[in-house]
Amino acid sequence: MDTTYLEITHRSFSRTDLLELRGRLDAMHAPELRQRIEALFEQGRTRIVLDLAGLEYVSSPGLRVLIEARKRARDRRLPDLEAGDLRLARLPVRIREVFDLTGFTNLFQIHDDVVDAIGSF
Amino acid sequence: MRDVLTTTAELDALATIGAFVRVGLEHAGFDERGNWQVQLAVDEAATNIIQHAYPAASPGAIEVIWWFDDTTFGVELRDTGKPFDPAAVPRPRIDAPLEERDGGGLGLYLIDQLMDTVTFAREAPGVNIVRMVRRRPAQAPAVRQFALHGRLDARHSAAALAAVRTALDDGARAVLLDLSDVSFISSSGLRDLIVLLRRVRAVGGELRLCALQPLVAEVFALTGFVQLFPIHPTAADGLRAFGGPTRAS
Repeated sequence: MDTTYLEITHRSFSRTDLLELRGRLDAMHAPELRQRIEALFEQGRTRIVLDLAGLEYVSSPGLRVLIEARKRARDRRLPDLEAGDLRLARLPVRIREVFDLTGFTNLFQIHDDVVDAIGSF
Repeated sequence: MRDVLTTTAELDALATIGAFVRVGLEHAGFDERGNWQVQLAVDEAATNIIQHAYPAASPGAIEVIWWFDDTTFGVELRDTGKPFDPAAVPRPRIDAPLEERDGGGLGLYLIDQLMDTVTFAREAPGVNIVRMVRRRPAQAPAVRQFALHGRLDARHSAAALAAVRTALDDGARAVLLDLSDVSFISSSGLRDLIVLLRRVRAVGGELRLCALQPLVAEVFALTGFVQLFPIHPTAADGLRAFGGPTRAS
């Protein structure tokens, strides 16, 4: 767990955007994720799936970005009047533990599979 | 054991601090999960200092100290920035719905959840200290069990015990020798066992014997070796005895 980076890979689908996270989502790197999500919002893209399978570490600044992003996604109305959302897929066991400790498990729609998460929109 | 790291209170020090504490946790015997939990608590405390104690434009120093004794592992973070009052931080409502959550207070909440005791203190002159302590995991030694075969005499005993010596060199500290298949032991065999016993004790380990055949047991009794080695009737008895008294029965 000596990882020092956060790597974010973006894949765009017709109705949704997938961000694959690898590495550390800590105070150092949380702003990078916020900016990537912000950039999608600015393009009117508010149906977002985060694939967390490669995430090794999350601390509270990362958790805050997730809460804020989901709230903002749901606040934004698309032209077709469907609300946006931020949904999560493939939580590693340690990340799931932090979610359970902080009550985050109930705050997000969490999928075991990326395809399911994308198809849920 | 104890170690100290001093670094600048900047966000890119977080990974360094985590790696530093991890070394101590590994020495203290934490498994991957416990290690990760304590690292998260330390990371939250360090993040708090980096983001709030010093002005962003002129970060000061942060000192991280870990130590452990027989029962507890402790981490202390020291800074000389603004005082911090944990009571002023609202605790998050963990069961509230999304609309009512803002993600505040999660760092302190996680520290409380992950550590056994947490104290914040300000010591003159102007030093803030957060001290976090967690119980060490129970130290059950991993027992290496060896079954010896045939005759422990001048010809065979050194070879039979070679694997045990290799295990010691590789870090084994709890060794159980199963003699149930040993039919004979000569004075050479006894001598090799004594050499092995000294070697195990020299590295702070434990050597136990079990399941001696009647003739071998008689040799141990006649030579007084029963006074030197802890001897158990079965392997299960021997395994249970590790971590307890090491005197010969």
